[in-house]
Amino acid sequence: MATIEVQRQILPILGSPNQGARFYNPELPSSEPFVPGHRTCAGCGPSIQYRMTSKAAGDNTILVGPTGCMYVANSSYLCTPYNVPWAHTQIGSAGSFTAGVAAAYEAMIRKGKWKGEFPNIICEAGDGSASDIGLASISGALYRNHDCLIICYDNEQYANTGIQASSRTPYGGMTTFSPPGPLVPEGKKLFPKDLARMMAAGHPHCYVATASVGYPIDLMNKVRKGLNHKGAAYLMVYTPCQKGFVYETPRSIDLGRLVVECGLYPMWEWNPEKRAYDYSFRPASMRPVSEYLKLQGRFGHLHAEHIASLQKFANEQWRMLGVQLPEALIQAADAKNLVNMASAAQAEAVAQTI
Amino acid sequence: MATTSVSKKRMVRINGCVASAQAAKYADVDVIAAYPIRPYTATMMALAQMVANGELDAEYIVADSEHSQLSIAHGAASAGARVFTGSSGVGVQFAYELYSPISGSRMPVQMMIADRTLDPPGDFGSEHTDALSTRDMGWIMGWSCDAQEAFDNHLIAYRIGEDPRVLLPQMVCQDGFFVSHITGDVELPDAGQVKEFLPPYKHPYPLDPRHPVSHGPQIMPEQGPPLQLERARAMEESMAVIEQAHEEFEKIFGRKYDPWLEEFMTDDAEVVFFLQGAHAVTARFAIKHMRDKGLKVGMVRLRTIRPYPTDRVNEVLSKFKVVGVIETNMGLGSVSSGGSLYAEVCAALYESQKRPLILSFMAGMGGEAIVLKEFYWMTQKMVDAQKRGKIEKRTHWVGFEE
Repeated sequence: MATIEVQRQILPILGSPNQGARFYNPELPSSEPFVPGHRTCAGCGPSIQYRMTSKAAGDNTILVGPTGCMYVANSSYLCTPYNVPWAHTQIGSAGSFTAGVAAAYEAMIRKGKWKGEFPNIICEAGDGSASDIGLASISGALYRNHDCLIICYDNEQYANTGIQASSRTPYGGMTTFSPPGPLVPEGKKLFPKDLARMMAAGHPHCYVATASVGYPIDLMNKVRKGLNHKGAAYLMVYTPCQKGFVYETPRSIDLGRLVVECGLYPMWEWNPEKRAYDYSFRPASMRPVSEYLKLQGRFGHLHAEHIASLQKFANEQWRMLGVQLPEALIQAADAKNLVNMASAAQAEAVAQTI
Repeated sequence: MATTSVSKKRMVRINGCVASAQAAKYADVDVIAAYPIRPYTATMMALAQMVANGELDAEYIVADSEHSQLSIAHGAASAGARVFTGSSGVGVQFAYELYSPISGSRMPVQMMIADRTLDPPGDFGSEHTDALSTRDMGWIMGWSCDAQEAFDNHLIAYRIGEDPRVLLPQMVCQDGFFVSHITGDVELPDAGQVKEFLPPYKHPYPLDPRHPVSHGPQIMPEQGPPLQLERARAMEESMAVIEQAHEEFEKIFGRKYDPWLEEFMTDDAEVVFFLQGAHAVTARFAIKHMRDKGLKVGMVRLRTIRPYPTDRVNEVLSKFKVVGVIETNMGLGSVSSGGSLYAEVCAALYESQKRPLILSFMAGMGGEAIVLKEFYWMTQKMVDAQKRGKIEKRTHWVGFEE
């Protein structure tokens, strides 16, 4: 018996990619694979991302959810927010379980056991899963080039377990595993793992991109590019966590823009055909990191020298993107020109709210 | 199915690893998840060649670890594919996290295990501790003692595990080297026989975009027990399916296996060995030898340990005066301070009106063969206990005592 050729979906790219969140785009699909019925916090960045991503993907989609806040807060037995098939998997199984689903569909379609277009297979891994415990499994899936999209919804911490540091937690970020104290005034001492570049460098045949909930159309287009790419794709999306970052609930999307405008979340795409980074994305403005930090309780304990370290880090990111640095940002990397965020007592009061 | 070569019944001379690979081919598996570790690796090597030759149409995935192997198997089975994976020794344990989620989500993944001792110190030989350490995770589990039985057990296990009344994963175990690497005559069936015996895999709730389902959502404490009870019942109810599958297998393939226990020269036996796996082959030879010397010794071999045939073990072992459990596994600090099989035998016999004396023999450890002299030694210990009417001590490390 001859084998059956696998037919794959091609999703159209939306116009006006750099428009704000409040802009109505008539091209947006009406399908809602991720609907109310979950228990996420008000302003939850990861769930905003979940809705945009699944909307971009449409109904012929299968979602895989490794353990994380988007597993625990989304799915409650006998009540589900998913209008498409969804499966939980272990926190370290993000790439491997997803690879299994993709391989099953390749074989089942080829052998005539399932008829239809190859579904979009999307894994939604938190940064704990993607940068720590499930890193090898994701690398395996990308390396083997299964036709799937692996998303890291990056809220820069283990949020589900009560805000613990992950390898994506920024320098200076307070978590319950990186609290500030007299001996460790900055809290988190390490800079985050550059996960998306690891994925691009190590798996150059894959489509890899970074995105943020602050730029919804751009995010949805990157989801579609990743899905349209025949083979594996990886997307790392900034998704603020109100509970862990300690900010005012309505400001999730603002943070999603500020983190890019402050140079702390470089936006880029890796083009697997050209084997090159695309750094053409430019935010509307460039700002010092303090504008991003001051909105969040998790940075409330930082001293001027720590803020300067973060500005230095941001400036390096800008340079990597090929951006000419304005004098103000160079000055902001010098602690002499900065002030402390808050007193230790004030910072401790904020810490108690986590 | 597309490129699987259709074959006529024929005899071949292959080892246990290749027999397992042949079984996976006959079962027309869709997804194979491989990762190398001796000695089971040879199964995956054989399957890789079959896929490369176009004899089997399957996705052959070289995973990045055993944990990933089992996760790939879990994902593929959840999507509706028939899945084959396997491991040995510490590899079985590297994947430990997945055993409960796979049986809990009721995915009939099949895993071939060629036993290997656990580390330390990196011994290649067979001990059953690797698979036995997972025995309470909700997998159907049993041992074969030669290549033919290994081949047959794979087909029987798919049939049992995929039955809609069961839907449980299966561990199809064979001793490393004694079965996995020793060549024997194996009858490969006619493709039509397999088709008749093993219907296509059809999970009732796969991840299919046309019929959306949510697998494994978070539950509240009070929602847990009903699900655990269902899984426990599936295990219990599988017993009838296991018996039915073995009957059907005999009808179609002409080979008869008692699903639970093989009895060898037990008709008038007073003392018996109780064991699993490949040492049964040497035990049969030794028993014949000892019979010639007038010793009333026999053997009972456990073929399926999960679900555990408590009533059958009770009924059969109650006929004897002394039972000597050959462990081939480590149960450090366990009931007998020897292996873990002893406690399972004792528990099954607790309600017996005619309880035999029970000894635990730590023999065949590290993958060593149990030699004739040792069978005599163990039998003497059993006969002594029978004469004395009580045991001297529970556990004997064979070869380390006078």
